[in-house]
Amino acid sequence: MNQAQSGTAGVLLISVLLLGSMTTGAQEADRDSVAIALAPRAEGLIIARCSVCHSPDLISQQRLPQARWHAVVEKMIHWGAQLSKDEADVLTRYLSARYHPAAPDRLPPVASDIGNAEPLLNEQATIGPLVGVANRGQDLFARNCQACHGTEANGGMGPKLAKNPILKHEDLFWDTVLHGRGPMPAWDSILTQQEIADLYAWLLTR
Amino acid sequence: MSTASPLSRRSWLKGLAALVASGTFHDLRLAARAFAQEEASPRETGPLTVRVSRPFDAETPVGELNTFLTPTHRFFVRSHFGPPPSEHLADDRWRLHVGGLVERATGFSMADLRRFSPVSLTAVLQCSGNGRAHHRPRVPGVQWDRGAVGNAQWTGVRLREILETAGVKPEAQHVRFQGADRPVVDRVPLFTRSIPLAKAAHPDTILAYEMNGHPLPLLHGAPLRLITPGWMAESCIKWLTDIVVQDGEADGYYMQQAYRTPVRPVQPSDQLDGVPTTTVDRMVVKSLITRPAEGESLARGPVTIQGVAWSGEAKVVAIEVSFDEGVTWEPARFVGEGHPYAWRQWQYVWNPKQTGSRSILCRATDERGETQPARSPWNPGGFLWNGWDRVTVTVAGT
Repeated sequence: MNQAQSGTAGVLLISVLLLGSMTTGAQEADRDSVAIALAPRAEGLIIARCSVCHSPDLISQQRLPQARWHAVVEKMIHWGAQLSKDEADVLTRYLSARYHPAAPDRLPPVASDIGNAEPLLNEQATIGPLVGVANRGQDLFARNCQACHGTEANGGMGPKLAKNPILKHEDLFWDTVLHGRGPMPAWDSILTQQEIADLYAWLLTR
Repeated sequence: MSTASPLSRRSWLKGLAALVASGTFHDLRLAARAFAQEEASPRETGPLTVRVSRPFDAETPVGELNTFLTPTHRFFVRSHFGPPPSEHLADDRWRLHVGGLVERATGFSMADLRRFSPVSLTAVLQCSGNGRAHHRPRVPGVQWDRGAVGNAQWTGVRLREILETAGVKPEAQHVRFQGADRPVVDRVPLFTRSIPLAKAAHPDTILAYEMNGHPLPLLHGAPLRLITPGWMAESCIKWLTDIVVQDGEADGYYMQQAYRTPVRPVQPSDQLDGVPTTTVDRMVVKSLITRPAEGESLARGPVTIQGVAWSGEAKVVAIEVSFDEGVTWEPARFVGEGHPYAWRQWQYVWNPKQTGSRSILCRATDERGETQPARSPWNPGGFLWNGWDRVTVTVAGT
């Protein structure tokens, strides 16, 4: 994270210095470097916070100036998107740099991939065995899992998890959440170990 | 997110294509298997062009709009939150509640509704945002191209008979509709819409339980969907469960903020706060070229250009084509009979004299005298695009 942050700071410093005297080509190069620098964090936010309600393709098809992206992100926060002010800034800057009005319809992939996405909630090695807290798991479920697994874990596009046999095999449950399975993405860069334990604890009460 | 997403676009597409093809989510196992496969499958060859994977929004490739009735599995799909869990819609659980300014609040089961005389009509359904991708500057929202439209036969019960059963009070002015779909996060407003009582009581406004002669599929609003012929599809509430008769328009985001257009022309640079807006309701006159396809290479010799044209509650009375960027127009001819609310097929036999890249344009005119403009007026929601349709082809040399 530190490396990316200092990289971002450098890019921003350069872009501020260059402001005013930029040609279109330089603008483009600047946007690219901002997008590359912010991609690991921003893409992680998109998966964890935006994809709760909609798939990322709704975002990547837009081509908007910064003021419109700012308004869109504000609207989503108003509607419950879990974004801190800092996260909203990162996201708006990234979206404005990558999905601006002059960007081509078919964008090449950003020069990093989600494998490099940084954990949003860094938690160092925990001490002792994890004890899940069901109350916390309920809220985590609503924000991260409900879009596919349905309200109260009763199923939707993804399988019903309430009373799902996999809950009898905690190791398989963890394996699925951490690494994904079939259409389900891997959550290891998004959920902490404690959060997965909380989710498991809550699902057992369902 | 292109390749950066851990969810491969292709696996989503395959899975969703399977869902659409099956018409319901019943065969989840099949869909899950399709999701899991990593097969090359260009999006253009599926039954629909997917714009958003979840909630599923997809449009029809325009070449598939060449028939009078659009096949159900190719009919565009749009919703704000995706379908509700199917168990909420099962016969033993689902009810239609009619309340508000009525003499007798009444609940109806599907069996109750089927006891009313069934009515069938053919009507175009079109997303208000169809063509949004053509507005400049760009407008946020699903970037629909040309295919968020279709023509289907709808069968159901007249809404006015349901309202008469409940007894509408004299002070009633509007009727509000709510479906069973729900947002994932409860701070997101419900998708609620209302229509004026005059439209609700019109004999052609129906609550449909069949589409193209078969039970309404889940993605299209099973078990019951409002059909407001001639009006944009956001009035055609899916998964309908509640009808509330009231004295004013529905409150809420999707009636008072979204799906509105300025009452006077605006520029993208204008300060739009305070500009009066009106809710989007009836469709505007519009046409599409369905043959030949965009980018097609044509052999020399006569080519039959085909398409469809429609206009909300009015009849289309003329369809024209142009090969010189709209400087001159040639009349095309309609095929078959006109039906109220349905689109009309048309064709034109073209004998191109020049070879190389050629653009074909079309425009329709309705009985009110409204003609499609070259470009539709810009509006902040990107609604009601009806600019001239365009297909560019290559005519081969000798």
